[in-house]
Amino acid sequence: MKKYTNVFVLLMVVISTGLLLSFATVQDKKDGGPWNVPEKYKTMQNAHNGDEGLVKIGKMHYIKHCKSCHGGDGLGDGPKAASMKTKMNSFKSAEFQSQKDGVIYYQSFIGRDEMPNFESKIPDDEDRWAVVNYLRTLK
Amino acid sequence: MKKVLIFIVFGLLVSTNLWAQDETAPQPQVKDKPVRFAWESGMLIDNQTSYIPTVKTLELVIQHKFGDISNGHSDLWGIYAPSNNIRLGLNYVVANNVQVGWGISKKNMYNDFNAKWTILEQTRNNTIPVFVTLYGNLALDGSSDETFGTVYKFSDRISYFSQLIVGRKVTEWFSVQGAVSFAHANSTPAEHDHDRIGLHVNGRIKVRPQGSIICTYDAPLKIDKISEQRPEWDNHPKPGLTFGYEVSTSTHAFQIFMGNSTGLVPQDNLMNNFNKIDKDNFAIGFTITRLWSF
Repeated sequence: MKKYTNVFVLLMVVISTGLLLSFATVQDKKDGGPWNVPEKYKTMQNAHNGDEGLVKIGKMHYIKHCKSCHGGDGLGDGPKAASMKTKMNSFKSAEFQSQKDGVIYYQSFIGRDEMPNFESKIPDDEDRWAVVNYLRTLK
Repeated sequence: MKKVLIFIVFGLLVSTNLWAQDETAPQPQVKDKPVRFAWESGMLIDNQTSYIPTVKTLELVIQHKFGDISNGHSDLWGIYAPSNNIRLGLNYVVANNVQVGWGISKKNMYNDFNAKWTILEQTRNNTIPVFVTLYGNLALDGSSDETFGTVYKFSDRISYFSQLIVGRKVTEWFSVQGAVSFAHANSTPAEHDHDRIGLHVNGRIKVRPQGSIICTYDAPLKIDKISEQRPEWDNHPKPGLTFGYEVSTSTHAFQIFMGNSTGLVPQDNLMNNFNKIDKDNFAIGFTITRLWSF
């Protein structure tokens, strides 16, 4: 009986440690803080606003370039998200969707810290707006 | 055969013009941009595509072909076979649609220096209906001096390959390209030609947003008028057929495939593939590309 008690205690220790570590991992993710977006982008107009034909193009770019971190539904739960130090906010959140298109453009393509610059990977401006338009559909 | 070759090359060029003439004139104020997502990588198995990343992008290429599958599970279908081939390459995009590169292969320790230029890009409104790309390389065979016979010269190590590629993204899910190539090797074994002309057909069928079925077919042509061998000589290089699956992400393309050629340098495939398209000659392989932008 003592043998089983030891196994049970060991099992509880392993499970408890795992739980504590999982909390620590979540809490270790830092909040990126507010974005310092240049005025140029705050006032930038989306030249392709409402162009529904571009949404499919935006989705293709999203799947290729963004999904691995931000997740298929934009919740910030992609396969690479776990290894990020910065907390990723959901694209479905009101906080994200309330931002201007130019701000989302800046966040998506200029980036900062762990969010890489995507200007060279998506060089065409029309395609960048296609991604912004697609992100709008995730709300 | 020469007439057939001229007809095919001429047909490719003429058909380009015919497609262009079918289109209505584009609006002068609207620039007709290149089509999107025609190919996911600059390489399709061991062939080149018209895709060149943006300027100042560095590409690492890792290519591997295992041994053939004829021994079955005893060598894990060729994966543990000693007769494998590996190539590591680096490419850099020096200007818009111009790329230069270098690679080194296990087989013959080929050092290849290559360049690719996509002259024309297919546009969305068919102002330009096809991609047109030129590719060329010069390879140095790194085998020991004795391999080249009793009278060795450094120039014996040199071979080169040049290729004209014409491709088109036909639909959202289907891209195809045809190519004509010329390969030359300064030194070859007895009863091998020094020059070889080849035709190539490569295709991609996109089955998922990040996944595609891919295929290449390389046909070395037997042209008596440029052959140095007697008519009865029948040991000519064999066509290469390879098919596989490609998964691509923002910075990677991963292609796993099976094919009957062992070379990773294109002139080696065109001149030295004597494996028939036969089940037992097929070998597993993969090609990985990784991009860094500066």
